[in-house]
Amino acid sequence: MNKSIVVIGAGVAGIEVASILADMGYNVFIIEKNKNIGGNVAFWHHLFPNNRSAAEVREYMNQKIKVPNITLFPNTEVTDISQKKNVYVVRTNKDATFEVGAVLIATGFTPFDARRKEEYGYGIYDNVITSVDLEKKLERGENITTTQGMAPKRIAFVHCVGSRDAKVGHTYCSKVCCITGVKQAIEMSKMFPDAEMYCFYMDLRMHGLEYERFYKDAQENYNTQFIRGRVSEVSENKDKSIQLKAEDTLSGLPLKMKVDLLVLLVGMEQGKDSDKLCDILHLHKTPENFIQPQDPHLQGNVSSRQGVFIAGTCIQPMTINETMQNARSAALEINHYLLHL
Amino acid sequence: MPTITERLAQDVRFKESINSCINCGVCTAICAAAEFYDYSPRQIAGIVQEGNEEKIIALLKSDTIWFCGQCMSCKTRCPRNNCVGIIIAVLRKISQEEGYFVESRMGRQQLLIKRNIGSTILKYGYCIHPEIVNPEYHPEQGPTWEWVYKNKEKVYERMNANLDKPGSGTLRKIEQDTLQELRDIFEVSGGVELFDKIEKYSFEKAAEMGLASNPDSMDNYVKYISNE
Amino acid sequence: MQNEGLKNIWAKYQKEIADDHYYYLRSCIRQNFFPGAEYYFLKILREVLGKDVYDDPRHTTCTGIGYHSDIVPFETIQTVVAREFALMTAAGYRNVAVSCVTSFGIYSEILETWREFPKELQKARENLWKATKREFEIPENIAHASDIIYKFRHQIAEKAKYKLVNTNTGKPLQIVEHIGCHYAKMFPVKGIGGAEFPQVLSGMIAAWGGDVVDYPERRHCCGFGFRQYLVQQNRGYSLSNSKKKLESMQPYEPDAIICNCPGCTMFLDRWQYTLYEMEGKRYGQNNESIPVLAYEELAALVLGFEPWNVGLQMHEINTESLLDKMGIAYNPDEKYLDKNKQPIGSFNKTGCLSCC
Repeated sequence: MNKSIVVIGAGVAGIEVASILADMGYNVFIIEKNKNIGGNVAFWHHLFPNNRSAAEVREYMNQKIKVPNITLFPNTEVTDISQKKNVYVVRTNKDATFEVGAVLIATGFTPFDARRKEEYGYGIYDNVITSVDLEKKLERGENITTTQGMAPKRIAFVHCVGSRDAKVGHTYCSKVCCITGVKQAIEMSKMFPDAEMYCFYMDLRMHGLEYERFYKDAQENYNTQFIRGRVSEVSENKDKSIQLKAEDTLSGLPLKMKVDLLVLLVGMEQGKDSDKLCDILHLHKTPENFIQPQDPHLQGNVSSRQGVFIAGTCIQPMTINETMQNARSAALEINHYLLHL
Repeated sequence: MPTITERLAQDVRFKESINSCINCGVCTAICAAAEFYDYSPRQIAGIVQEGNEEKIIALLKSDTIWFCGQCMSCKTRCPRNNCVGIIIAVLRKISQEEGYFVESRMGRQQLLIKRNIGSTILKYGYCIHPEIVNPEYHPEQGPTWEWVYKNKEKVYERMNANLDKPGSGTLRKIEQDTLQELRDIFEVSGGVELFDKIEKYSFEKAAEMGLASNPDSMDNYVKYISNE
Repeated sequence: MQNEGLKNIWAKYQKEIADDHYYYLRSCIRQNFFPGAEYYFLKILREVLGKDVYDDPRHTTCTGIGYHSDIVPFETIQTVVAREFALMTAAGYRNVAVSCVTSFGIYSEILETWREFPKELQKARENLWKATKREFEIPENIAHASDIIYKFRHQIAEKAKYKLVNTNTGKPLQIVEHIGCHYAKMFPVKGIGGAEFPQVLSGMIAAWGGDVVDYPERRHCCGFGFRQYLVQQNRGYSLSNSKKKLESMQPYEPDAIICNCPGCTMFLDRWQYTLYEMEGKRYGQNNESIPVLAYEELAALVLGFEPWNVGLQMHEINTESLLDKMGIAYNPDEKYLDKNKQPIGSFNKTGCLSCC
């Protein structure tokens, strides 16, 4: 039995699978395209639902891979995967070749490219930023100001940017943006206690146990108004402040608002990493362009190809704790597969 | 007899324009009519989606469907690829075919448009001709237009136009054989039928209101709907 | 405004525009109110750019205004459009140049319908045959007339006599562009630059030396609204939408408004006059009105054609302030003269209009 596994992607899912399989005695090779591990958590600042520092999760990951039978290959990309019976031969752009019993894809997600929602003016209007930009600024310790260097007095958050939107080909909900918006509104309100926060949403999907508490807290203690309506159009005023148009669908009236800073809550999408692997391995994808599990209930971590497994947000949008659980189930699935070969 | 809901679905434009509404309001948010009238394209999508025959007929008899300005701004933004502007066009068509349009003030105005633009199309081959933009009814056109209108021949000649003359060029006279083709197209494709229906239902309404006794004496009704 | 972002969007929406041999389809509104624009479009294409354009006396209105005011059925307008294509086919042309944005939207909508529903195309062919015994090919290329001017904007710039530069200050003129809803809002891929940040006019303005003003209500409708203007009682709708735009652009003190769509050109011109009459309010620099021009008129001015030949005297809002800034020579005494330099009628701009 080949006791080696290649894990593609050193984010939350990939590292958790690797560490569990390493515990079980497997040799794990992690191939990571970036210099650093952590995936999208690498640049995140604080995490919902308890505002803990993302650095703590990164530290956990760093500790987990410090075991002899995990080898990390940073700045490396998979170029080819072929199969000889039950052995997969994985080649990289660094001319390395791995012969392994199983491959795990944990390529995660790409934040939606907000420039594609042209009506929001991202990349054109200075004071339109994304939730990812905001996390990065906070993590780098930058002051949050308008581009004119002023403290914002009114900040609006736009939900569902790149989610639930046939116009950009994403009909699905990205699951984490609603709660991220609430979290960021609270953070901004703490930073600017006199400022008004507005969240423009279609449905608030507060699915986690603590999320509803967060939402209530934002309303009661952090100057945050929730307006049920999708933002339709964004433009720039002469003073570089932002004008937005939406309908307050609960009162049934169109609304125009001037804000100093607009934060687009970008969703998750599958990028070229998983596209490439699916092409190489001829894996099935869902209509939403995520990697299709063999069976959504019973084999959620098994791809359409024997010996190739999937974990984390390459399957569907997930929170970090869901990703952890999903990774653990993937590790068991891989172990089971290799033991019964 | 197909129901109104079924007839809506028979129009290819309708099929293309309503999938399912997510009630997000992006259409109403930027609707040029929603700010001016008590109108919400989102609510139109809701009613046609519900498919309740009575509610749709009530809609076809109301002012509501006549508020839209057909700018189609709603089409650009809808996350479900719907277009309420086109749904409205289909609703208006059925409202006229069924005679429901005469039950609302805004709907009754269709007679004015038919008699103005409709006649101009078949008479001149254009939707607009300088002759129909009478400054008396177009104060907004201002004194310059009044000058143009009063001195059409010389002004258009100065502009190298070919007003009401044979040949090519701006505002040329469209020849009889071409106008006949246009009328024949209206005849075979339902254009004349729609004109006739607008006249017929308007007359019936005028008679009901005691404003006309025969179809050739509709002046009082026209005056009434012009000032309603 | 970040130019990189705009370039990224513009790169996504560059459509193919035929290089030569156009079958010209005229506009009802443009012919009536800005006849010089159509005349100079043809003149520029033929005489400045050396292109072949066929101006067919047999084509008619597309009936678009009737269709959007709901008195012309979809089946009828499809057949009328089919007839225009039949004339094009018979004349041996494959590319159409459309003078009107409403028509351009109609052609776009009908071609999409025929692509999705071949039975509709079949029905249009049958109706046309029954009515006229004509047959047609679908055009290979459909361009709005502004697309063609956009395509050749740099050639026009090379031959330009004037620039969109204030000759008194040397600074670029601040130009508002208005696209017209039916150009790209229904089918963004059919417009240069798409629906949100169209490039068709801003490309011309930039090529000819001006700056484009991006004001908050830039994308909003001029307010035509078809039946909302055609019926006198409804015109408040039309007026209020134009007013909203004018108020929004006012802080930028634009030197001119350039329009893509003939209807919008007319409304933004006439409603400024009306608003002044109603409220005593004007929206341009120094409490004056803002000149409104069609892009063909602008191209003609840039190329050095005489303003009164171009037809600027047909605008309600005076354009002299723009001419002065551009350094264009003109004789004010010839503004209201006929072809033989004799006065036309007894037109004397008095009252508010003397300073509009």
